Amino acid sequence: MILNSVSTQYLDTAMLPAIQKAQTQLSILEVESSTGEYADLGLQLGNQSGYELSLRNDDDLLQALTSANGITSTDLTTAQSGLSSLLTSAQTAASGVTSWLSNGNSSAILQTVGESSLQQLIALANTTSSGQYVFGGQNASTAPLDDYYASPTSTAKTAVDNAFQSYFGFAVGSPQTDNITASQMQSFLSGPFANLFTSPAWGSNWSNASNDNTTSEIAPGQSAITSTNTNTPGFQQLAQGYAMLSEFGNIGLSAAAEQTLGATSLGLIDQGVTSVTATQAELGVSQTAITQADAYMSTQMTQVQTEIGNLDDIDAASVATQLSTLSIQLETAYQLTAQIQRLSLAQYLPT
Amino acid sequence: MTLSTAFNIINSAFTTIGTQTSTIASNVANANTPGYSREIANQVTDPFGGSEIASVTRVADDALLDQVNSATSDSSMLSAISSGLSTLAQTVSDSSSSTSTGALSNGNSPSAMLANFDDALVTYEASPTSAQSAQAAVTAAQNVTASLNTGAAAVTEVRTQADQSIATAVSNVNSLLGQFQTVNNDIVTGLAGGANVGPQEDQRDSILTQISQQIGITTSTNQNGSMSIFTDSGVTLFQVTPVQLTFQPSGQLGAGVTGAQVMVDGTPITGSQSTMPIQSGAIAGLVQLRDQIAPEYGAQLDQIAGNLISGFSETDQSSTNTGLPAEPGLFTDPGASGVPNSANYTGLAASIEVNPSVDPAQGGDATLLRDGGISDPSGANYTYNTTGDSGYTARLQQLVTALKTPATFSAGGGIGSDTSIADYANSSVGWLQGQNAQASSDASYQSSLLSQSSSALQNATGVNLDTELTNMLNIENSYMTSAKLLTTVTSLLQSLIDAA
Repeated sequence: MILNSVSTQYLDTAMLPAIQKAQTQLSILEVESSTGEYADLGLQLGNQSGYELSLRNDDDLLQALTSANGITSTDLTTAQSGLSSLLTSAQTAASGVTSWLSNGNSSAILQTVGESSLQQLIALANTTSSGQYVFGGQNASTAPLDDYYASPTSTAKTAVDNAFQSYFGFAVGSPQTDNITASQMQSFLSGPFANLFTSPAWGSNWSNASNDNTTSEIAPGQSAITSTNTNTPGFQQLAQGYAMLSEFGNIGLSAAAEQTLGATSLGLIDQGVTSVTATQAELGVSQTAITQADAYMSTQMTQVQTEIGNLDDIDAASVATQLSTLSIQLETAYQLTAQIQRLSLAQYLPT
Repeated sequence: MTLSTAFNIINSAFTTIGTQTSTIASNVANANTPGYSREIANQVTDPFGGSEIASVTRVADDALLDQVNSATSDSSMLSAISSGLSTLAQTVSDSSSSTSTGALSNGNSPSAMLANFDDALVTYEASPTSAQSAQAAVTAAQNVTASLNTGAAAVTEVRTQADQSIATAVSNVNSLLGQFQTVNNDIVTGLAGGANVGPQEDQRDSILTQISQQIGITTSTNQNGSMSIFTDSGVTLFQVTPVQLTFQPSGQLGAGVTGAQVMVDGTPITGSQSTMPIQSGAIAGLVQLRDQIAPEYGAQLDQIAGNLISGFSETDQSSTNTGLPAEPGLFTDPGASGVPNSANYTGLAASIEVNPSVDPAQGGDATLLRDGGISDPSGANYTYNTTGDSGYTARLQQLVTALKTPATFSAGGGIGSDTSIADYANSSVGWLQGQNAQASSDASYQSSLLSQSSSALQNATGVNLDTELTNMLNIENSYMTSAKLLTTVTSLLQSLIDAA
């Protein structure tokens, strides 16, 4: 049997490293049990830190996109309700014109319907959502349509007056107006007058909006068109239909010419309703895409956060067990140290 | 046999007991002296039947001492590396609070700052007319450059610090080698004269352990007791006389600046130029930190900075005057002109900044981020938003995409080369934390190995008080017996004298 020698210095200090280690470990465990996370995550994860960080960044991006989608959704809802009001107003106008066509009342009603509808159209086109004009396309900080009835006379109204003057050779309100035939009126309305409501005249006289709509990233790598503009056929057709009623509804035209005017206007309003409905459908596609993207991102965030939790969070039960084990170990070490210190032959020798 | 012979024998016993007592006294006195090796008085029978102390030997264990020294070298190398890495890791001490969510929860690494910047761009894209969103995106961009600057400064600091520590270690080794020569000479002289050289040998061992903290060493002892020291790579450090280690500290070690190497007789014993580089000890660890680990991380930061500048650069948008070169946009290096190419990224992490023309605090215009023209705010050649529409988002989409499309990264950073800026930044943090965790666990493993070797050495060569006390009791008994013998022999002689 080999008896290894043990040095007294070693014996006296043998428990020190164990005590120091246990105390260090204890302070770490205290932090972990109070925060529920690793005391030094970087040290704990090592190489996986990059992965953990990319998960965290993904999570942040998804949250940023989700809150950005909130803003976009508000804009889209505002635009949709604007378009709905436009449709309601168009239907009211259409039924007004239809009843006039059938009962033959004074044509002053045509002028009233046209003017009020056009004013509603302009007001709706200039709808804003958090300071941005929702029908401005990319040009979101300028009102898309100027006031047609403004004073001094708007460029749009001047253009209409000039078109009338140059086609018929006399101004609106001239006594000669009575001589305009139904076919003359028809060719004026579908020719020079109609041209005012298509590009480029529409853009220079009426609309300040951009043809390009805003697009936004609604999910990582997925973009959607998130606005519409007043350069779409719906606005143009309705404006055309309303403007002809407002301008020529009560200027003393012959009955035949007035019938032509009413019928042409009604046709345009009907077309406009169809076009606005189509625009609504386009925006609806974007709205659906955003809803789906939000749902998808919410699922993804849950997954990502679960994964982050798996990496970051400590097992509370295991930490509690380790804590109590360590306390016992530390107490034992203290007791041992005291007992070893007492174990010396010198204590037992007779003096 | 005569009574006078008995007297001589008893006398030798008293001499022996005296020497043994002094040996025990010395052992007890040094029971708590670190590095003390206990002494043993070797007792033999003398030619006349008495006893004498032939020699006092020191209980040494060269194998264990070598083990302690080599464990010391490894441990100090790893702890040098580990402490440098943990300094670097503090600059990316991310994700310490997962309970808070949102952009500010991720600490301040370039990776987290890039993610925040990405979020800010996405938010700005959703509300391009908002001045606050523009300002927030510019601020997020400034945080990106600030974190790159901080990281680069930490790399420089760690390298400079390592360089200075090498200088201190080298002068420490030189002074220890000088002390070693004195003690070694004493031992050689003492051994030749037959003196007890135990205390000197203790001292020599302690100097060896101190040297092995700085440089890994091996030793060999000659017949005359003189010891030679070699580095663990085989370069002679001491043979009768010490060699002189030389080292020229470099001052600030910015990106791309290489430090000097430790030389012995004009030959480097560290670095890639050395044919026999030292393998362990603090100097080896510091050189590795200064020349490999820290520069590698610095290169990663430079790669991120360089790719940010080129990824966010602006191209010629004018229809008439085509052929203008691309210019740095949002991110720029104020000291350079033009967009850096991938071979010239060194040092960019330290100097990258957000272009003043987009910073409202410096008289710039934050909306240039949306419209382009950051490089040329007064002209229109680099303006992307030609119509001036406030809802223009095409440029912002390009910027968001620039963060996510694969960019060119040199393999010098030690992590993947064909990834996006954001992924590369994540990998960089992972690389650093991985190195840190590895070094920390290696260092703590080596440190416990060292403490085990030290305990083994202490047990083999240290003093056990109980043993000494037991020996003391034995000696006490033999002293009492010898004294009793002396009285008896004296009374015998007295009887003879009385009888005469």
